[in-house]
Amino acid sequence: MAAISTRATRQSRLSASLQHWGNWVFLIPSAIFFLGYMIYPILRTLWLSFTDYRYLRQGPANFVGLQNFQYALSDPLVLIGLQRALQFTLVFLPGMIFLPLILAVMVDRVTVRGLATFYRVILLIPAVIPGPMIFVMWRLLYNYEIGPINYILVDVLGIFTKANAPQWVGNPSLVIPAVAVFQWWWGLGYHTMFFLAGLAAIPKDLYEAARIDGANEWQVFWGITIPRLRPIMAILVVLRFGTAMAVIDEYLLFGGFNRGLPTYTWTVYMYDLAFQTGEWLQGYAAAIGWLGAIGMLIITATLLYIFRNRDNN
Amino acid sequence: MALNKKLNRRNFLKAGAVAGSAAALAACAPPPAAAPGAPAAPDASAPTVAAAAPAAPAASTSTRPLSPTFYQWIYDLHPHIPELNKTLPNVKAEIAPTEGFGIERFVAETKNKESTWDVYVGMTPFVEMTQLISTGAIVPWDDYIPKDVLDDIIPSIREECSVNGKLYSWPFFLDITGSAWHSGITKAAGITKAPTTWDDVLTGAKAIIDSKAAPYGNVYDPQGWRSLAPMTHSMSTQVYTSEGRFDFNHDAAIEALILMKKLKDLGPANLLEAGASDGGVNSTPDEVAFAAEKAGFYFKYFNSPYRMAANWKDPNLLQIGAYPKFAGGEGSTVFWTTGACLFTYGQNKEAAAEYMKTLTYDKKIWQDSIAGTAAAHPVQLPVYTSIYKEWAASKPEWLPEAVNTISGQMPIAKAITNHLFGLKQFQLARPFYEKYLLGQETSEKTVMQQCMDAVTAELKKTA
Amino acid sequence: MQQTLRPPLRHAKPKVRLSTIARHLFINFFVLIILLPLAWILLLSVKSLPDAYSGRLWPEQFDFTHYNYVLTKIPGLSQNLSNSLIVTFGSVTLTCICAVLAGYALVHLRTPGKALVIGLCTATLFFPTRLLSLIPIYEIQRSLGLLNSSLALILPYVTLNLALSILTMRGIFEQIPGELVEASRMDGCTTWQTLFKVMLPLITNGLVVLIIINFVSAWGEYLFAATLTSDQSQRTLIVVLARAFGGVGQFSFPRLAAAYAMVILPGVLAFALAQRLYFKGLTEGAIKL
Repeated sequence: MAAISTRATRQSRLSASLQHWGNWVFLIPSAIFFLGYMIYPILRTLWLSFTDYRYLRQGPANFVGLQNFQYALSDPLVLIGLQRALQFTLVFLPGMIFLPLILAVMVDRVTVRGLATFYRVILLIPAVIPGPMIFVMWRLLYNYEIGPINYILVDVLGIFTKANAPQWVGNPSLVIPAVAVFQWWWGLGYHTMFFLAGLAAIPKDLYEAARIDGANEWQVFWGITIPRLRPIMAILVVLRFGTAMAVIDEYLLFGGFNRGLPTYTWTVYMYDLAFQTGEWLQGYAAAIGWLGAIGMLIITATLLYIFRNRDNN
Repeated sequence: MALNKKLNRRNFLKAGAVAGSAAALAACAPPPAAAPGAPAAPDASAPTVAAAAPAAPAASTSTRPLSPTFYQWIYDLHPHIPELNKTLPNVKAEIAPTEGFGIERFVAETKNKESTWDVYVGMTPFVEMTQLISTGAIVPWDDYIPKDVLDDIIPSIREECSVNGKLYSWPFFLDITGSAWHSGITKAAGITKAPTTWDDVLTGAKAIIDSKAAPYGNVYDPQGWRSLAPMTHSMSTQVYTSEGRFDFNHDAAIEALILMKKLKDLGPANLLEAGASDGGVNSTPDEVAFAAEKAGFYFKYFNSPYRMAANWKDPNLLQIGAYPKFAGGEGSTVFWTTGACLFTYGQNKEAAAEYMKTLTYDKKIWQDSIAGTAAAHPVQLPVYTSIYKEWAASKPEWLPEAVNTISGQMPIAKAITNHLFGLKQFQLARPFYEKYLLGQETSEKTVMQQCMDAVTAELKKTA
Repeated sequence: MQQTLRPPLRHAKPKVRLSTIARHLFINFFVLIILLPLAWILLLSVKSLPDAYSGRLWPEQFDFTHYNYVLTKIPGLSQNLSNSLIVTFGSVTLTCICAVLAGYALVHLRTPGKALVIGLCTATLFFPTRLLSLIPIYEIQRSLGLLNSSLALILPYVTLNLALSILTMRGIFEQIPGELVEASRMDGCTTWQTLFKVMLPLITNGLVVLIIINFVSAWGEYLFAATLTSDQSQRTLIVVLARAFGGVGQFSFPRLAAAYAMVILPGVLAFALAQRLYFKGLTEGAIKL
């Protein structure tokens, strides 16, 4: 303690910390891409949101402070747009968590090795199909005239007639569930894998101990499996909340720019303002984008707080 | 979980704050300033546009071959054009980055006083022209187009393509809204003569449904510029305000809306569904129903029924006719042209004019368009009086009678007035007039007023 | 497995229990739900045009010419395919390199500001970045002179999944015990040598996961490719196919279906072949974000 020379310690600490900063070499490639193609553009958009920038106008943009934000908060379409996105998210999230959870528990119990692998591969096929392909495929499936779903409902099963068959895309009450269903289809395998990995991490003797104590399947599920999977569930909920609120491509494909439809959310409104309507009010659109993003961040932070790790692991 | 450990609230906020301020400094450069002395953007309520033509760079300094760019669908529907482009010396043609009528690329380049291309083929006056002019992206053709060509353009088309007397769009393809029907279905329903009035249509559509010849008596595209506008024109064409907006409150428009509801009740339940491509604008349910041979009559611009009939067992069953009239109405319809515009900062302007002349008069393009090829049968028409005179004088053997029916509408057809919100006003109005079509609102006058108000509200944002 | 750990009072021979059958039925229900739509698309691609529009499930008349039509109608499709391959390969490689280096530094090296970097990566996952960044990225590409070049697409593509990749690699590196790093240091290896000689062999399965995730993203990306390239010869496959058939042009479902089959099948096949490594990677902690 007292015998150790403080100067030597300070020197070695200095060279150690220099070396530590030298380790940033490993992070530089990522940093370049990150800063250049992600951070800078986002912040540029933030700057835009404080101006009255209109893309199709000749003059320079003027700084207008919080005016865009004030206007956005009083713009009914912004509020409705956010509500609509939230509606979809609330319909979408439960299926996105519980379905893969149950499926994972089932697949985990499959004893035949080859069969288990077969199941996993099939379940993951949608995850390797590019997004645009998925959307258009399901648009075809939902097609009122020639899609197989309505064909089966009308011509094969006779439950509906041509006149009252469900309009999966056209009916405002059906379109959100319709989009949710294909999103579940798309993400089913991916999320099931998450849960399977989590299940694999649960030590088997926990189950054994519980069974010897006389617990039945249901109690095992709620008492051991769910609590252990809670962290994964938390991550999935938070991540998917973000992606669900920010959906745009699917809405453009299913609803277009019709402001009366529930698919016209705040993201579609942003795009509409920025690239389609009038003089392309990109300053205003940027403000809406940032408002929505901040709202999402607040809810995300809240969710993370709720799901935070309470036990000291 | 590893993540929860590291990512508690404090770290998160700290991370966000530091990163944010660092990159904020980098991003604070203002958006690119415009050319000094450029005229101010037009007042949104003014119908005419301040011709914002900054002096183009000295004409004949050309550093590249003529570079036209085409909207994708033009290549798809007119396969001879890419072939022709390959044979022309010193021409380098490309597809334009303009899905869904998007012009942001052109505008971005104009702001930087540059232009990758010299000519854009694919502009429709009432859709993009006003915006392209107001940003100074395009200049008129008047200094470059030969006078005899200019005078050869059908007068109503020339008017559609001009602003303040100057020609901003060199029209290429003509689309007119008209009638089409599946003659197999109409025959089975006992309909013997082509419909000339909307009452004929209503009777005929009902007959088709009653006789079970087809599930739908008729289909049409409910997007405003493809249905509301032409149906209004068939009553009266004096339906635009002094600022150039469509007057939804006009009696003719209200008549058209009432008609649309009657027609919809004789059509598919999902008629109002969004289309599957181009932001909901194309691949609409009316196209699907007609292609599936489930509908009798079809009211849209002519190239649509031709494309859909290509999917039938026997495409020759397609018949076309003039747009129906209202008894006592003007009997007009809507036409629009797709044409070429000249980029302000592009080069080769004289060469561009020669190129457009070659293209627009090319015989094979028109033959392929009207008679059809294995790839496409768009039936888009030329815009020159001389070509029609030539055909009238000595009819080519590939020219079907139908063409005269279509072009016969031109003297009375009218284009939608050009306006910054030319297309958009119909999209903004749609949620409101849809309520009437769905039976959720019973007063036409109320919904039409709401349509008008919606457009006004959006225009206010621009002010 | 459970059965061998059961108390010895049970039968030694495992009998097929009702719950097992029920379980498999349940799973297979979902297997069908996944396979049926894909099968329908495949069937659609060989229907004749009138059949495709009739809605009938089984065609009256088959028509196998659609594949040929798609391949021959669009000249230059092979160029678009090679563009897609180059862009995807390039961006996946770059992303993997960045993510491996970053993951290594964030876990096994003393790097100041770790928490900041990780927090930032995580934060961007919750952000609608694509939406907010299109026009500025266009400006950047233009000022670098990189517009209308398929190679240049690689740059923005790297950022598509960079945050996720870094966090994934971090999870994988965390599975490697710190003692190994210590041991290799004591053997005299430099930081770089430790990475290449010791770490790399251990993370291959995780790398497979990373490659697949990034491959799918880059292969199917539409927005940037459509905006940042304009020349037909520079475009990627997805953009050309989506625009050739999705627009006002040749609109016919069987051809659409044929094009999709051609785009999807290679990806699915490649995945089926690599799946063993993929699952190994997942269980090894690629999921431990």
